[in-house]
Amino acid sequence: MTTQQEKVIPSKYIPDVGSHVETIEGNDYLITNDAMYTFYQRSKGEFSPFFLALRDDKRLLGCKCTNCGLVRVPPFLTHCPDCNFAPTELIEVDQVGIMNSTPPITYFATSLFQDMAPYGRGRVIFNGADTAMSVNLYTTTGILVPGIFKKGTEVKLIFRDDRKGEMTDVFCVPTVELSKEQIERKGVQESEINWEAPIEPKLPQADDQEVALYNEALEGIKSIIEEMNTNERARKDIAGWKRHILVKTTGGQFAIVIDDGDIRLEQREPASPDFVMVCEDPRTLLDGLAYRGAITDSVINRKLWISKNMEFNTIFKLDRMARSVARSKKS
Amino acid sequence: MSKRVGIVGAGVTPFKGRWVEKTYYELAQMATREAVKDAAISIQDVDAAFYGIYNDIFERTAIPEHAIHGLLGMQNKFGIRITTGGATGAYTLSAAHAYLSAGRFKTALVLGVEKATDCFDFSSMSATPEVIKSIGWSGDSFFEQPIGWSASDSYAEVVLAYMDENPGDLKPEVTAKISSLLSEQVKGNPYAQRQFDQVTPEEVMNSRLVVYPFKELEICVYTEGAAALILAEEETARAISRNNGTPVVWITGVGEANEHSFAGKNQKDMSRIMSDYYASHRAYEMAGIEDPTKSIDVVELHDAFVHQLEISMAEFGLVPLGRADSLIDDGLMTPGGKYLVNPCGGLIYCGHAVGASNIMSAWSARNELIKRGLKTALVHGTGSTVAQYTVCMVLEHE
Repeated sequence: MTTQQEKVIPSKYIPDVGSHVETIEGNDYLITNDAMYTFYQRSKGEFSPFFLALRDDKRLLGCKCTNCGLVRVPPFLTHCPDCNFAPTELIEVDQVGIMNSTPPITYFATSLFQDMAPYGRGRVIFNGADTAMSVNLYTTTGILVPGIFKKGTEVKLIFRDDRKGEMTDVFCVPTVELSKEQIERKGVQESEINWEAPIEPKLPQADDQEVALYNEALEGIKSIIEEMNTNERARKDIAGWKRHILVKTTGGQFAIVIDDGDIRLEQREPASPDFVMVCEDPRTLLDGLAYRGAITDSVINRKLWISKNMEFNTIFKLDRMARSVARSKKS
Repeated sequence: MSKRVGIVGAGVTPFKGRWVEKTYYELAQMATREAVKDAAISIQDVDAAFYGIYNDIFERTAIPEHAIHGLLGMQNKFGIRITTGGATGAYTLSAAHAYLSAGRFKTALVLGVEKATDCFDFSSMSATPEVIKSIGWSGDSFFEQPIGWSASDSYAEVVLAYMDENPGDLKPEVTAKISSLLSEQVKGNPYAQRQFDQVTPEEVMNSRLVVYPFKELEICVYTEGAAALILAEEETARAISRNNGTPVVWITGVGEANEHSFAGKNQKDMSRIMSDYYASHRAYEMAGIEDPTKSIDVVELHDAFVHQLEISMAEFGLVPLGRADSLIDDGLMTPGGKYLVNPCGGLIYCGHAVGASNIMSAWSARNELIKRGLKTALVHGTGSTVAQYTVCMVLEHE
């Protein structure tokens, strides 16, 4: 099913051989780039029918206890521990179910999943099952925010076009975002769903008042960024990080440049920005940088739009810098 | 008949976000040196070692305790490592208690150590994403790891399910007040990672969402450090106490429970932390406590997340389920309230050096009982996916 050759560990995660010295109170300490890696040819064992059914047949299997009739999805076991290990048998279940409880949304992900954030992972009880299966949750309406998935929300299992025999082969979307035909048909694939491409929000034409507001906010933002640049704790937050960000607001636009510990505001459009930030009201960004509410939350609340989901990383760093400056003022 | 077991010595290293200056070998020895000094005994007087080290990946070695056994002077003696996720430290104490109670040894070293932030993510040039990735290897590897399981999102599942059933509880303004309160309490803990990081409820409310519904200032921080206790059976404990002049704090109740990993009928009820319920009530039963609301003075609770702290307090029977906000609304844990909860600042402000955390909590509970002349403390450790594991211990000061 895989059309391109991928590495088990993507090369972007692998550091170069190297070391450096960190000096603390006059003493030198040696720090070495390192890794602890093991490769596997790992058997899916008794789970093989389940994963093969997902990959090859777009079917969802569970196991039913021959004694109590409990249906577990996924089919975790071959014998039921509740019935003195009575045997279970594989059965197919429906691909529509309901959320067992309100699922969490991960905004700050582990290094393995940073490109995926924000993402939801929750448990679905599919029709015909008694237990819940963990799945990723997506919406066709843009960034995943609280309230889209709740306890009892009806969802549909969707299959990736490119399947490998892993849990990543499937995910769920709310049935309210699908057509009746899609809900009823088993084996619906991601390419059959209408995903909204990231569309940059259009800003209204600025009037004099908005230009004045922009100019005032820009001075505030400039002042905070200058303060961040002189704050050791905040500079550490962006060590090794490089980004050119184009910020668009109703009253005007500017760039924020992050360059390995340095941060500065430039009143020009970068030639090739790493990403674009759009907020109608520049005070949204000003408040975040001034530690009066998180920029992350502004993205989640749709007051601030970013062109790339994976740049949540950079947003987190800006939030962290705001907190670092606030902490330094206290101590 | 089982023997009575008490804590006769304790020591911790400073808890820090990063110990560039020390490896886990030295951190382990630092805490051990402090603990034997506190007990006024020699390491040669210790019969057995119980090591709480959570994660091979953090220490970058399998069997991470083997190297430190001899470096602590414990060669040719009993040594065992316990690893049970976040509850590692508490389970290590539980194991040591069982061996001493059974009469196998007279004295034991209980040592927790963790070196988490050597892990480093070269794509974001920061440690935290790699630290939580390393913890991510602890999730179910067939069904959950590949889709982004993390410690935070698995605990968030439980918290959100609790909120589904108890919609008026765990109000954001209450979780913010609890975090702020803990940040005040940590001021008195010179070993804490965030001793001087006091925050207002407003700052907590304004901090960024990390994993919905958890905000940054409502989550424990990852820490490097070690904590050690010296445990002894009754006769030896009394002799040590006579010698060092420090009263024995007895472990009078121990309870443990591990729930099902997966949710659904006959499996885990996501809206409860039944492991907390069973473990606490088993510990009460062993200690002869009939009404914990009348007996417990101090709670050293494994606060991985503020919301979970609230649910755990309810599962312990110290506040009603569904009304955990009474901790703040009714002043139960505010200064002068009924319960002294996490006087060390908890894992959110003292820090979470995983294998060492619950042992640090026991260190703090013992200090508070002796210092304040209080009688009874509850020490708690939670861990694994979806708050699956719990160990509770009742400590009593004569």
